[in-house]
Amino acid sequence: MTALAARLNAAAQGTVLGVQNYVRLAWNALRFVFARPFYAGDLVQQMDAMGVQSLGIVLLTGFFTGMVLALQSSVQLRTFGATQYIGSLVSASIIRELGPVLAGLMVAGRVGSGVAAQIGSMKVTEQIDALNTLGTDPIKKLVTPRVLAGLIMLPVLTVLADLVGILGGNVIARVYVGLPSSFYWRTVWEQIAGGGFSFGFIPNDFIQGLIKPFVFGGIIATTACYHGLATTGGTEGVGVATTRTVVAASIAILVSDYFLTQLLLSVLGA
Amino acid sequence: MTQPGDADARGREPRRTGPRDFTETTERRVRATIRDALAEAGGEERPRAEDPGPAEGAVIELERVHLGFGDRVILEDVSFLARRGETIAVVGESGTGKSTTLKLLLRHLQPDSGRVYIDGEDIAALSFTEALRVRRRMGMVFQQAALFDSLTVFDNVAYPLREHTDYGDDEIEARVREKLAFVDLDPDRVMDQLPSELSGGMRKRVGVARAIANDPEIMLYDEPTSGLDPLTTGTITRLIMKLQRELQVTSVVVSHDIRSVFRMASYVAVLADRRIRFFGTPEEMAASDDRYIQDFLGGF
Repeated sequence: MTALAARLNAAAQGTVLGVQNYVRLAWNALRFVFARPFYAGDLVQQMDAMGVQSLGIVLLTGFFTGMVLALQSSVQLRTFGATQYIGSLVSASIIRELGPVLAGLMVAGRVGSGVAAQIGSMKVTEQIDALNTLGTDPIKKLVTPRVLAGLIMLPVLTVLADLVGILGGNVIARVYVGLPSSFYWRTVWEQIAGGGFSFGFIPNDFIQGLIKPFVFGGIIATTACYHGLATTGGTEGVGVATTRTVVAASIAILVSDYFLTQLLLSVLGA
Repeated sequence: MTQPGDADARGREPRRTGPRDFTETTERRVRATIRDALAEAGGEERPRAEDPGPAEGAVIELERVHLGFGDRVILEDVSFLARRGETIAVVGESGTGKSTTLKLLLRHLQPDSGRVYIDGEDIAALSFTEALRVRRRMGMVFQQAALFDSLTVFDNVAYPLREHTDYGDDEIEARVREKLAFVDLDPDRVMDQLPSELSGGMRKRVGVARAIANDPEIMLYDEPTSGLDPLTTGTITRLIMKLQRELQVTSVVVSHDIRSVFRMASYVAVLADRRIRFFGTPEEMAASDDRYIQDFLGGF
């Protein structure tokens, strides 16, 4: 019994320590955003790697999600003779939920794993030590640009995914259901406007749809950097770090999405 | 290897004569500590000469360092020092904490007790930024070279210059060329290559060029010749000696390679069973009647 308690205690301590290190890393990464020197070159490079190079898969995901959403809902809505609402349904689901979450998951898989693998191999080949030795703070040099790139690029990717997703819905609505495009887009706008506005001109749906990817971008980048920097045990360790990053970031995205939704709905009103 | 003048100067320093018995040194230091404590209790200022703090003229000093990870003790009561221009070789079996001593000097690790001095400065007492400042005066050559593999050879060598100097592009290029030439690489041929396109020996030489880009006063080498063929080993050893000779850098070399250690070291520290088993010149090491030392030297 005491052995079990001791093991539970050790596990709990390990978890707390991990969380503490993660929070410290995230805090330092953000703190360094405002401290010299600025690694602007690294930031641009990371924005390219995270944003521009993820564009393909994120747009593809968005487009097909929009299409399948329109397809499925058309079947359901037809039984009620309400196929004219396809536009509202597709846009609401995509802007509020599917766009941010799917873009987040895709980027976690593509970029999160890449970042963890890169930083992890830098760790095991002593390149992190070399940075330290050359008088550079690895958090400032490696983590801050990646976190910043995540915070900036995921919202951008999400907006594009939303747009392409709604466009995918448009294609199905028109080809499969026979709904005119102008009508489809009008229902899309009505849905967005129906959610109400903040400050009189920003649709609440957009606020929900942009705060989420902002948070997810931060989660992905910090999780990947954390696991990358914690890599031990050679190339095998790099594999472990990569897997852990994708699993942890994906779970964190899905869980935080729920709580963010609840928070945002209570603030903005359903 | 060591100039006769240096040897004389050292001869007057009791810690430097004959094969050092470290229990003796330890005893002296404990006595000094007690004396200091007494002096402090009496309200007097601590007499500098008795201070077991930084030794006069030492560029690098480990003083009674203890270090452990959890239950595992890595180093126990390890002390050694290097004066300007000297090369200390730290040898020992694998896993005896040789590389750890380098990490201590760079403050990547902090000792559990004991002190690490760089130029008389206790580096544990420094803030993170101050530690970076001290590190900038040190060059480190890593076991696997640790070149940044996303950067070209030029960018690797230019890294410390871009990071810590205000040099313009022309000056940086001139310096990179100079450093690459110093390590016997043809700048025009290698500058635009990526580290993955180089051989192990070339990578190591680029690693040396990067380490000396900022003209450090202290060089640390982690197994500089491991995994290299005998010819390249010779080249790297000559390169380290050239740095000693031409730039007067103080060096700590962690190595298994007794042959090159004997060529370049002013002093050899043998780490065994967490402690320093022997400290002395290579000649003294060869003449040692310690069975372990003789076994360690093998047939050399």
